[in-house]
Amino acid sequence: MSRELLPVATAARTRAVLLDLIRPHRALALGGFAVMVVATSIGLLTQPLLGSIVDLVDAGESAAAITAPVLALVAVAVTQGGAMTAGLALVSRLGETVLARLRERFVDRAMRLPLEQVERAGSGDLTARVTGDVSLIAEAVRVALPEMARSGLAIVLTLGALAILDWRFLLAALISVPVQWHTARWYVRHAGPLYARQRVAGGAQQQQLLDTIGGAKTVRAFRLEADHTARVAERSNTAVDLTMRGVNLVLRFYSRLHVAEYAGLAAVLVAGFFMVRSGAASIGTATAAALYFHSLFAPVNTALVLIDDAQSAGAALARLVGVIDLPEPAALDRPSSARIEVSGLGHSYDEGRPVLHDVDLTIDRGERVALVGASGAGKTTLAKLIAGIHRPSAGTIAVPGEVGMVTQDVHVFAGPLADDLRLARPDATDADLREALTRVDALTWAETLPEGLATVVGEGGHRLTATQIQQLALARLILADPPVAVLDEATAEAGSAGARVLEKAIETTVEGRTALIVAHRLTQAAATDRVVVMDGGRIVESGPHDGLRSSGGRYASLWEAWSGVRPTSENPLE
Amino acid sequence: MRAVLWRAISGQRRDVVVGAVLGAAHQAGEVMVPVLIGVVIDQGVAGGDLPALARWLVVLAVVYVALSFSYRFGARAGERAAERAGHALRMELVERVLDARGGAEEGRLPGALTNTATEDAKRVGAVNMSVMLAVSALTGIVVAAVVLLNISVPLGLVVLAGTPLLLFLGHLLSKPLEKASEDQQDRAAHASGVAADLIKGLRVLKGIGAETAAVARYRVTSGDSLAATLRAARAEALQTGLVVALTGVFIAVVALVGGRLAASGEITLGELVSAVGLALFLIGPLEVFAWVNAQFAMGRASAARIAEVLAAPHSVAAGTEQPSLPVRGSLRLSAVSHDTLKGVDLEVAPGEVLGVAAVDPADAVSLLSCLGRTADPASGTVELDGVALADLDPAALRAVVLVADHDADLFEGTLRENVGGAHPEAMAAAGADEVADELPGGVDGHVSERGQSLSGGQRQRVALARALAADRAVLVVHDPTTAVDAVTEARIASRLRDVRRDRTTILVTTSPALLAVADRVVLLDGGRITDAAPHADLVTRNATYRTAVLA
Repeated sequence: MSRELLPVATAARTRAVLLDLIRPHRALALGGFAVMVVATSIGLLTQPLLGSIVDLVDAGESAAAITAPVLALVAVAVTQGGAMTAGLALVSRLGETVLARLRERFVDRAMRLPLEQVERAGSGDLTARVTGDVSLIAEAVRVALPEMARSGLAIVLTLGALAILDWRFLLAALISVPVQWHTARWYVRHAGPLYARQRVAGGAQQQQLLDTIGGAKTVRAFRLEADHTARVAERSNTAVDLTMRGVNLVLRFYSRLHVAEYAGLAAVLVAGFFMVRSGAASIGTATAAALYFHSLFAPVNTALVLIDDAQSAGAALARLVGVIDLPEPAALDRPSSARIEVSGLGHSYDEGRPVLHDVDLTIDRGERVALVGASGAGKTTLAKLIAGIHRPSAGTIAVPGEVGMVTQDVHVFAGPLADDLRLARPDATDADLREALTRVDALTWAETLPEGLATVVGEGGHRLTATQIQQLALARLILADPPVAVLDEATAEAGSAGARVLEKAIETTVEGRTALIVAHRLTQAAATDRVVVMDGGRIVESGPHDGLRSSGGRYASLWEAWSGVRPTSENPLE
Repeated sequence: MRAVLWRAISGQRRDVVVGAVLGAAHQAGEVMVPVLIGVVIDQGVAGGDLPALARWLVVLAVVYVALSFSYRFGARAGERAAERAGHALRMELVERVLDARGGAEEGRLPGALTNTATEDAKRVGAVNMSVMLAVSALTGIVVAAVVLLNISVPLGLVVLAGTPLLLFLGHLLSKPLEKASEDQQDRAAHASGVAADLIKGLRVLKGIGAETAAVARYRVTSGDSLAATLRAARAEALQTGLVVALTGVFIAVVALVGGRLAASGEITLGELVSAVGLALFLIGPLEVFAWVNAQFAMGRASAARIAEVLAAPHSVAAGTEQPSLPVRGSLRLSAVSHDTLKGVDLEVAPGEVLGVAAVDPADAVSLLSCLGRTADPASGTVELDGVALADLDPAALRAVVLVADHDADLFEGTLRENVGGAHPEAMAAAGADEVADELPGGVDGHVSERGQSLSGGQRQRVALARALAADRAVLVVHDPTTAVDAVTEARIASRLRDVRRDRTTILVTTSPALLAVADRVVLLDGGRITDAAPHADLVTRNATYRTAVLA
């Protein structure tokens, strides 16, 4: 199966979604911006105050005269610090709140993606986006956003202050702009593709770590430690190499910025020289201008370097928005009917490899039907199509209302057991949970867990047995309470002793529901109203267990294979 | 935690030193810039001397070239050290997780562990860059102080006394930040763990239509994480604000002392400009210090998490002995009690195919963990060829004894890679040859991470093929065919003996098809072995066995 990664949004869409997210927090955004402007403006009074000290000394004033500007400097420092605290807190609040909404929308969207799409992309793609990309953006919001706000304002307002001293100083300072502009463009051109490769390498590394760490027990059992260590090392090294290439690019970028710095500084000094000589400016003003320009180095560098973080955050953002922006899959538009009616159903996962051909099947309300057949006969596919998890390539399916499904893919959600169950019905009372567990015969063990229903289960928590996990899956289905239940090899992993427990549990679970059961154990098929046998993607036989057994067809020979290993001639099942 | 940080730095000594030296040179150059601005104003602007202006602008250009190059190569060394240290920690973590003695995954989500191996390793590695920056910043401060002392001793002393005071205050201020940052990172790791867990269970959620409930659950976690982040952000804003205010006050003091000295004629106007310029310049290195402090705080929190994983207690002790070669493959359990097992005695002859039918699956799981030595029994011994497993090196043991779990993971790669090479006999015996036929690309077809692109039955057959292909002297398989259809299961059972001939094989299962091919079957009931005989005999004579296996 070829990989088909989930989409990445265009820059325009990313911006639009971002603005959309900021809109409800307009007041916060404006307030934060205003306070930051105040804080930065106050800070800019520092250089003229220092310049005035120079002028006072130049004018031969007494030592006492400089006390006033010094006190003003102290006042500037304290006010600037206070305003900066408030401004940064507001800006962070805005960024973090928007980020939280963004990741929530992402998870919301991811949860509603069609499974086929997730499987084509590999679940690592989604996981990498929700962990790596989110944490990258979080870092940018935490560090780059406040820095960007500070530096951007410092640059704009300092240039303004230079113009207030004398427009010619501003003109001299602007000499450096073409160099910086050109450098920034050169950088962005090269950095974009490099970051794209870095993201891919990061995703691959994450994927490998999840594979290796999640499968650590298997790795140890098969002595694959060296192989897996090498795989992680290879992906980590690729990521490191690409990072270093990025670093080299950034450093060449800095070298060019130094040229711009020197050109601008020399120009401001030369301008000062001629303006002082012609009497157009005092030495103090020339000093303030030089100090202003010198104090621009740090924020200019910071802002230009932040292009870096902004770019990688932008790439990460585009990956999140790409998923957020996926069109809502059209609701499965299935005709409703009093019973399940499947007609002319065909399906293929890959073009040209059909797994179902022209299947017709009717299941009456309240009827329990078992699907039987060899691996690859198309049982699971038919079950998934009826459950509405996949969309059929051909044919129609009518169902009487919602369909709940328990598949072979079991999962225990990390957290308290009660929380796991409440995913199926969030408003369930403790009594509801107990009742559902009772019906699948699981209450006894659930209550003997260290902390009862509050025991943390799932990865990192209390380990449940295969049978318990399956009982939990059935209890969820009872809580979700759909009129139609599809069960796919739900007893498969529990072993025979557990299978008996589960078969009973399944019986109570499907009570009062229309049920389709993919039967692995033929004893399970024997207990249903009707058995449907599949082979090569087609239905080949259909009828009650007893009738098929004596018909001499495929089901009869399957039954032979299953019961044939038994040494007794009479069937102990009856 | 300290050890982790120290290893991360000392492992990259060379680059850290090169980075620090060149970084220091760069900062020295940066100090010269305001000094030269003062000189230009003094000699050029104030005196109206054009040749002097030109001369000093050339000097300024030379300084720029030097500082530019030293920065470029210094920062490169620093970043390289950061990246390599992060890589080394990542590998150390992976090696600890894969350690034959196990134990590192206990109580940790794979998502959280992965986060530690990526984000935390990166943060600790970044401490190298912080060290380099701290050294350069310190150099900048020292050079500035020397220049200032040259201009005037009292002025230099003000800077020399004021700077450490500022640094000390900065350190004090970053303390509460460390707590908030730790809390925030824990919650962020938890939030991303929850998101990854929900995405992993996507199929289950879709099956019961629980997408909305899952999203609501994530919102709560995300909200908690946001609250913690905002607390950390407020603390950081306050710290930045205080550093800005303190730095401004410090500059005012320098201006006061310098201004009075200039007014009394003890220093020149140009020297005053240099002094003030230097004081302004000092904001840079001082802010770098504030930043470095914050980085160290985060690095420490990350190093603590890494140290915790590295120091996680092992599930089993090392054991030093090697299995004696050639391995005959006899096993003896004497009075083994562990979890649900209560005094199990069992002998398995070399080359025997033994069936183990457990009435309670928990007994099977306990037995498997003793045989594979993922745990040592609470009492009693398990011996391989007369040597207690507890005395053996677990890695060496697993090269001889393979316990193949029924939920064994497959990995991303081709089918062939998953099986461990071309093993046609093992593939055919496990029915995995049919999986290859169904897969686009055959044995070179792609299997996605954790084998999720395959069906349950396909996964099980590939996992069994891998277990058979590993060809260990002792193979213990647990319920290898639960998701396989009856026809295929019968075929697998018929080929199993042949592919495992002369080597010890234990089938822990309740499948009658598999138990029927065993030389002997033991019945595990209530934590004890209650009967032992060939399958056919047990079926006729033991009612418990009949119910366990056939019903």
